[in-house]
Amino acid sequence: MTCYFRTMTVPAQRHREEPPAAMSLRGLVKHFDTKLAVSGVSLDVPAGSFYGLLGPNGAGKTTTLSMAVGLLRPDAGQAFLQGYDVWADPAAAKARLGVLPDGVRLFDRLTGPELLAYHGLLRGMDAATVDQRARELLDVLELSSAGRTMVVDYSAGMRKKIGLACALLHAPRLLVLDEPFEAVDPVSAARIRDILQRYVAGGGTVIFSSHVMEVVERLCSHVAILSDGVLRLHGTLGAVRGDRSLEEVFVQVVGGRVGTGSELAWL
Amino acid sequence: MALSPAANSEGPAANSEGPAANSEGPAANSEGPATKNGSPMPFVRLKLRLIANGLRGRPGRIALFVTGVLVSGIFAVAGYAIFAVPGVLDDGRAAATLLPLGGSALVLGWVVLPLVFFGVDESLDPARFALFPLRRRTLIAGLFTAALVGLPALATLVATAGTVSTAAQLGGGGAALVQFAGIVAGLLLCVAVSRSVTSAFATGLRSRRSRDLAVVLLAVVAALLGPLQLAVLAGLERADWEAFGTVARIAGWTPLGAPYSIGLDVAAGRAWAVPVKLLIVGAAIAGLLWWWSATLERAMLGAAASGRGGEAAETGSPVDRLVGRLLFGRRLPATRFGALVGREVRYWLRETRRRAALITFTVVGLFLPVSVSMSGGSPGLMGGFVGALAAVALANQFGYEGSAYAANMTAGVPGRTEIHSRAAAHALFTVPLLMVVAIVVALVSGRPEGLAAQFGGLVAAYGVGLGVVLPVSVIAAYALPETTSPFALSSGGGAAKGLLTLGAMLATVVVSVPLQVVAFFLGDVWLWLGLPAGIAYGCAAYLIGSGVAGDLLDRRMPELLAAVTPGR
Repeated sequence: MTCYFRTMTVPAQRHREEPPAAMSLRGLVKHFDTKLAVSGVSLDVPAGSFYGLLGPNGAGKTTTLSMAVGLLRPDAGQAFLQGYDVWADPAAAKARLGVLPDGVRLFDRLTGPELLAYHGLLRGMDAATVDQRARELLDVLELSSAGRTMVVDYSAGMRKKIGLACALLHAPRLLVLDEPFEAVDPVSAARIRDILQRYVAGGGTVIFSSHVMEVVERLCSHVAILSDGVLRLHGTLGAVRGDRSLEEVFVQVVGGRVGTGSELAWL
Repeated sequence: MALSPAANSEGPAANSEGPAANSEGPAANSEGPATKNGSPMPFVRLKLRLIANGLRGRPGRIALFVTGVLVSGIFAVAGYAIFAVPGVLDDGRAAATLLPLGGSALVLGWVVLPLVFFGVDESLDPARFALFPLRRRTLIAGLFTAALVGLPALATLVATAGTVSTAAQLGGGGAALVQFAGIVAGLLLCVAVSRSVTSAFATGLRSRRSRDLAVVLLAVVAALLGPLQLAVLAGLERADWEAFGTVARIAGWTPLGAPYSIGLDVAAGRAWAVPVKLLIVGAAIAGLLWWWSATLERAMLGAAASGRGGEAAETGSPVDRLVGRLLFGRRLPATRFGALVGREVRYWLRETRRRAALITFTVVGLFLPVSVSMSGGSPGLMGGFVGALAAVALANQFGYEGSAYAANMTAGVPGRTEIHSRAAAHALFTVPLLMVVAIVVALVSGRPEGLAAQFGGLVAAYGVGLGVVLPVSVIAAYALPETTSPFALSSGGGAAKGLLTLGAMLATVVVSVPLQVVAFFLGDVWLWLGLPAGIAYGCAAYLIGSGVAGDLLDRRMPELLAAVTPGR
């Protein structure tokens, strides 16, 4: 069955583009009741890029990424991961994918090591590899000391870290991270940045959402700005930013208010 | 933010006025000028305003409110009638029994009901006043007075007014006046006891662990209600009225019954008892208010998690911890299926709602067949019911862990693997339990030779139950509230789907009937055939049902995830 689908979906990969996109979205649309959450997002994430998805709260970042990784069925449009259609051939598309969803629970009645072992075995890895990598990840992310504490009792930052460890465990070629730096303390954030930068240097692709300009400006090779479910601007960091700061571009594109200095004068 | 110099110079002055304005109490914001001397009236106005605002433009809420008014009215009238009966009959002895005992029951009701419906009315949750610079005495007085304003207090006052009528009939105007003082004191006691217990409870439930424990205890209590009811009924049959009279006399001297018996004391010529009993009640109220005030501060901090240090590091590799040392020291294979089953088993042991479901099923599963076979009924049909009941625990299996199911989706777990693993983990707990049920039933009914057939019947019903329930769990999953509060109820949408569960249970019993019919006609042959036939029947039903469920799941994964994610 897999072979059948492969012959069907491989042509969808566009050979004329070099290198092939690690993720490409084609006209994704999603309604919630009457509200249009995402309207026609098309985006190519080149392999080996560090891609930042920017947007204010409620812009549709999480909805877009959920549709891209096969957690949310789009009303229209397609999503390809490494050339495989997520909705036509989910097994192949998800095989080399690591996801850190936001606002989604973990299996939090397991301890950290149990959760990692669970994810590893679920991905079909052999026990010895799971053990070795899980120990290393726990060590690097400073989660080894949590011992028998269940994930439900972890702090928000620890939860983000164990979620990231679960996404990294099977050494995916594409990482999709939703708000990976939210609620993470500066020390852990630096550790995570370091891990992600090395991962990209080693040929991996990261796409992550954020609304913190500094982090995006520091890490990303590419950015896309999303607001009200529409992709406003995308490209390499240099092309999007021009000679201004990313924050200026972002506020202008999103259409936020610029302070005149006269309001709230009583403060 | 850039501030102009002029704004800066005005800043401190404005700030210095801030706290003074705040000290007028929370109602100052909505109600205009409030008194500065700690009057409780702002709290009362705040509560009334909250009730009114809650009703504005919401027909559903208004209907609920009207229902509440009706129920309170019925309660009040019925209570008044019951308490007034001894007076109408002019029966002093009945009054001396009914008033203290009925009053005590009422006070206990005020303790228990807020706990059961904890979290329903949080309009004046102390945690909301945490940021206001209020003196504790002001806060206590305000919250106490606000709690007196409301349907329950009014209904209680009207209901207990029946005792005034009885006192008037038995002892004239003086007794009635004293009894009236008694019911007012009783009402104060009711409110004080319910507020202080709620507050202490909120403090006690701050950590996840104690909340988990509370859920389990609640499940045990709920499961024991049936057996307890029978025990109480059996006890009542044997009880004599003398014993009740003694209990009532003792209750009359406790804070619970004292406020409701002082009018009778006057009528019986024991006027000296009145000040003593009022003192008892007054001391009880004062003590409760003191306790409340002590726990209030901690309750105001809310459910802020207190950080616990990491516990002792566990030995063993991560994989061993997941799939090793399971039930009975068995090991699961270190595969995808093993991981799924290992996780499920841990969830049945660790997740409160699942643990509660297991406990409830254990108690009911043992109690029902035993009581039926003791009363001479057919344990066979009851076995079908118990097997179905076991499977019903899986009717909303995806709702238990909510959006965490996303992990299995991104890992690409096929639908059938998912379904099989969940059923296997549940069977690890259920099948041994069914065996125990079969043994107990065989012993109680005095037919040990029927053990194997009984077990076969149970397994058949369980298998059929799974076959029916598993597809339902995929189609009709619904989100459970994410809170860990033991008293949080699933709101709205779940109710209709809960009905579907009931339907699934009925369907299970119906599908199990052919086996029962065959068993009935085969008679003694069934004692030998029952076990293999039951297992075969159950397995066949399970295979069909799980296959359907697995294929449904493959098609509906995103929809299922959306259905079990709360707040969508």
